[in-house]
Amino acid sequence: MSVLTAFISGVTRLNDFVGRWIALLVFAMFAFLLLEVGFRYLLNAPTVWTNELTQMLFGVYAVMSGGYIMAHRGHVNVDLLHSQLPPRKRAVMDIFTSLIFFIFTLALLWFGIDMASESMSSWETTYSAWNPPVWPVKLAIPVGTGLLVLQGLAKLLEDIAIAFNLDYYRPDQSTSEGEQS
Amino acid sequence: MSIEILTLLFFGSLLFFLILGLPLAFVLGGVSVIFLYFTWGFDSFYMVASQIWGTMGSFTLVAIPLFVFMAMVLERTGVARDLYRMMHLWFGGLRGGLAIGTLVICAVFAAMVGISGAAVVAMGTIALPSMLERGYDRKMALGVINTGGGWGILIPPSILMILYALITGVSVGQMFAAGIMPGVLLMVMTVIYILVRSTLQPHLAPALPPEERGTWPEKLRALRAVLLPIGVVFMVLGSIIGGITTPTEAAAMGVLGSLISAAVYRQLKWSVLQEAAIRTFKLTGMIMWILFAAHAFSAAYQSMGAQELIEGMMQHIPGGPWGIIIAMMVIIFFLAMVLDPVGIMLITLPVFMPIVKSLGFDPIWFGILFVINMEIGYKTPPFGFNLFYLKGVVPPEITMKDIYTSVVPFVIIEIIAIGIIMVFPEIATWLPGVFF
Repeated sequence: MSVLTAFISGVTRLNDFVGRWIALLVFAMFAFLLLEVGFRYLLNAPTVWTNELTQMLFGVYAVMSGGYIMAHRGHVNVDLLHSQLPPRKRAVMDIFTSLIFFIFTLALLWFGIDMASESMSSWETTYSAWNPPVWPVKLAIPVGTGLLVLQGLAKLLEDIAIAFNLDYYRPDQSTSEGEQS
Repeated sequence: MSIEILTLLFFGSLLFFLILGLPLAFVLGGVSVIFLYFTWGFDSFYMVASQIWGTMGSFTLVAIPLFVFMAMVLERTGVARDLYRMMHLWFGGLRGGLAIGTLVICAVFAAMVGISGAAVVAMGTIALPSMLERGYDRKMALGVINTGGGWGILIPPSILMILYALITGVSVGQMFAAGIMPGVLLMVMTVIYILVRSTLQPHLAPALPPEERGTWPEKLRALRAVLLPIGVVFMVLGSIIGGITTPTEAAAMGVLGSLISAAVYRQLKWSVLQEAAIRTFKLTGMIMWILFAAHAFSAAYQSMGAQELIEGMMQHIPGGPWGIIIAMMVIIFFLAMVLDPVGIMLITLPVFMPIVKSLGFDPIWFGILFVINMEIGYKTPPFGFNLFYLKGVVPPEITMKDIYTSVVPFVIIEIIAIGIIMVFPEIATWLPGVFF
């Protein structure tokens, strides 16, 4: 049964790894935007590619965040009732509500794959002045959603283990609070 | 099934799964997919996916991670500490002076950053111990920090305003300009409250003893603390209002400003930047996933034809157009007790905005009322972000109950402010007209 534990911690580690790298994209977005302002005012030569590239990076950044945030319990929820419950009851409730989670994420995954494969089969570009290929960003939708689904699956297995009091499984205590907005 | 029952079922199941503790993004997305399936069929979700794609390509939204990152860096620099020292020297001799100084710093912080938590954390660690040490009333000290921290979303720049502009189609620059005077109004009202309260009950907020008040040369030297914040504010707001950059590029200028500040305070370290990047990623991603799911929500909402139903229901609210606006404010107020501001915005705006526009109200003005209402939401229990931030940094002898009760007078002040801006809409709408 240690396969289960290995899967859960493996998925969490994967999301952690991906998240730590994707998080650094904020530096790239900052640099490109600053570059554009610099080019425009100091050299009087606006570029065609900085804003579009920044925009594309942001798309990847946003959609790839789902799994990492889920691994760190960062998606905001209403925890009025949730925080009052003992762990086992909470796990049972989370197993029930995960149905809604999977309906959304699997639907998104399905159509995300649809969109990405369509885009890749025609090597779609953006048709702007710079005209870069757009499929890598579209591909990020199913990949990011897939990571989220995996993390959701890991959480479901964890909840099942807690709900049925399976003693071989010891959940890690790596939780973090949601951030402010 | 009749539209009334369908609508009730839709909002009912949203509420049901929210209370069960499923994250907002997944509740919005999942419930909406189910209802979309029954109204327009499963393939309609392709439309939602393509809207999500559209959101990913929004240039305006790129400002969000940058403004967040900027706030995370500024929170770690010594800017807040130096500002507090300055306020201490200048206002300490006044009754309630440290509280007023804290409010002023919060306003300065709000003009630098676009989120609400940064000032709360900074002031909770710096100003709170100092006020308590000098005999300030616990509730006054906590309340001031809570309320001042909330200004971050009203005084530009503001992430909430960027989202509002995106959803309603008004310009980000105009929203930013509209927030300035209401922000000043709130600050003046709160300062007056502190002055009156500490004059009537001097034991709540005693003046500092003369030996702690500082000499004139000290006071003047401490003024240096405002130079850096003014520079940052100028870089961000100056770029937007001066028409030099888009709000998104202005956010990048703000990041530059925050990095310069960090360098001045010798905090420009990889560990600081990396931590800020990770926290930014979490917060931005959380907002974006709610936004993704909200597309499914508004598609489902439209597919059921609930728009006409709710518009029809609104007609029955007594008091005409103003009755409707007040009813909306009350609904938002109660939602803010349990939901986070981004979620409330994405749930209510698709429903409210067509009504507000059809009644002939200015969407920018409504946006300001909305944002002030969200500020109240940030500090009202049970789900007020600022309360939890504050709890995270205060000494252990301060209980959650102290924090909860401390906000009461300040919530009342903000409700009065909403009333004033309703009666005198020019407070919000005048500046955008001047600048743009």
